[in-house]
Amino acid sequence: MPSIVDADRLSKTFQVKVRDPGLRGALRALLRPRYRDVNAVRNVTFRIDPGEIVAFLGPNGAGKTTTLKMLAGLLYPTSGRVEAAGFVPWTGGPPFKRRIALVLGNRQQLVWDLPPEETFLLNRAIYDIPAGDYRERLAELVTLLELGDVLQKPVRQLSLGERMKCELVASLLHRPPLLFLDEPTLGLDVTAQDAIRRFLIEYRERHGATVLLTSHYMQDVTALASRVLMINRGRLLYDGALEALVARIARTKRIELVLGGGGGDGNRVTAEALAAFGEVKSFHFPNAVLEVRREDAPATSARLLAALPVADLSIEDPPIEEVIRLAFARGVEEDE
Amino acid sequence: MIRRYGALIRNAWLVDLQYRASIVLWLLWGVAEPAIALGIWWTIAGDGSVAGYARADFARYFFAVMLINQLTIAWDSWYLDRWIREGDLNYRLARPLHPAHEAVAENIAYKARTASVILVVWLLVAAAWPAVRLSFDPGRWAITAVAVLLAAAMRFFISFTTGLLAFWTTRATAIMELHARVSLFLAGRIAPLALLPPAVAGVAGVLWFRSMLAFPVDLLTGAVQGTDAILQGLGGQIVWLAVWILAYRVAWSRGIRKYGAVGG
Repeated sequence: MPSIVDADRLSKTFQVKVRDPGLRGALRALLRPRYRDVNAVRNVTFRIDPGEIVAFLGPNGAGKTTTLKMLAGLLYPTSGRVEAAGFVPWTGGPPFKRRIALVLGNRQQLVWDLPPEETFLLNRAIYDIPAGDYRERLAELVTLLELGDVLQKPVRQLSLGERMKCELVASLLHRPPLLFLDEPTLGLDVTAQDAIRRFLIEYRERHGATVLLTSHYMQDVTALASRVLMINRGRLLYDGALEALVARIARTKRIELVLGGGGGDGNRVTAEALAAFGEVKSFHFPNAVLEVRREDAPATSARLLAALPVADLSIEDPPIEEVIRLAFARGVEEDE
Repeated sequence: MIRRYGALIRNAWLVDLQYRASIVLWLLWGVAEPAIALGIWWTIAGDGSVAGYARADFARYFFAVMLINQLTIAWDSWYLDRWIREGDLNYRLARPLHPAHEAVAENIAYKARTASVILVVWLLVAAAWPAVRLSFDPGRWAITAVAVLLAAAMRFFISFTTGLLAFWTTRATAIMELHARVSLFLAGRIAPLALLPPAVAGVAGVLWFRSMLAFPVDLLTGAVQGTDAILQGLGGQIVWLAVWILAYRVAWSRGIRKYGAVGG
């Protein structure tokens, strides 16, 4: 199967003007401007197959959004080669743009003073969507996103969550096979975030769309993405399944216990007793969390069950946020 | 493309309807400047004339300025500057429609709205005040329409191209402000070019300033006479329009490569 996105040694360098603080710095910058090269993306190579949902992971300024914008044809790469949806993005012109959607969490295309339906009608004209297709797609998107009666309200009166849902409608009316979503859940409450995630899963299942997204919310990544691209300081650190990343980075497992035998204080298990089995991460009787080496987890669990009054026991990976933090702090390679 | 323009113009008008007060203010500003200039020249002319312009000539001139300035003015550099600096260009670049089309549609919407009001005002004033009446000359009106179209296109490309300077500088709108100040004199907004010192009027004629306003105004009022003068004026407009289209193409293709796509 041919890839829908093919990036080969993609790089982007920005020239940034630098100046010292104060009046003297301002004058010097005026007379003799100095520039510094910022390598936002360096030699990034990856391929994405049709129908995949792939998440870019990385701290602020890592190069995620820059990469996404190069794929969407907004930015010209300094070097390297990209093909997306069968086109070189910055020369693909309107035929390429009809095959993509770009949703920016903090920049919206909805006309602020008009009801969202006016933006939808505008996009219907811009993308040459036949009237029948428009009605059918709008009805489907409105149902999936549970938009109800907000289409007739001015955009400025909508909540952030409603606006993002409408933004998705505006971006998907032309039914593009390739979606670029930059922080699609930014600033939304938990319910709205969840609604957007459920929608994206359903939409991709129905229409087989390929989704590339960036997000700072790990729930977005765990709920949506089968694959992550981890970027830091412009370099691609990891490309693969999230579970494999966790297994590679997290050298520990967490054993979560619900202890029994709490009738009298004398019978209670103490933190000291638990410390013999592993590092006690938290202990509020009857709940306790122990951290043990990954390979020791099964044996330690068996010893715990044999030695202590355990009502319930589960083995978990450390929280994903912690794994990602570790991965960025230590790098991915050293843990191989 | 007609359907797209229809949708863009419709949206522009729908947004305008939300800001009725600001439209009236802009319209008043568009009327106030030539009205004040007319008041000053009316007083100076008295019962005589200044460089061949009597009171009635000034009245016709500034009513024509009022109308043709509204028909040719372009605010695009302010929009472009914001789109580029704040990242609003991003989604426009992701659509299968060049952002310039949206700007052109906005211009059509704006001009149709304000110029039609001014035209009605002019007709009402002309009914009561013979001084501002134009002689009935459909041939001249048709040529004027062509000159207005060329001037509007040129002023659009000047404004759009200046706005594109925001790819390189944060002072694009300041440059446009400077251009507006210079055009106050050189384009004939404050006085007919015939009243300027010959050297200054010469500069206005060699550069694009006469083509962007004074020439179509003089065409309408009848100050430009003779086929040669008319063809020369239209030729100047075509040349400067071509120059500004070229400048736009260079600025767009270089700027878009430099674009930092800020703001998400």
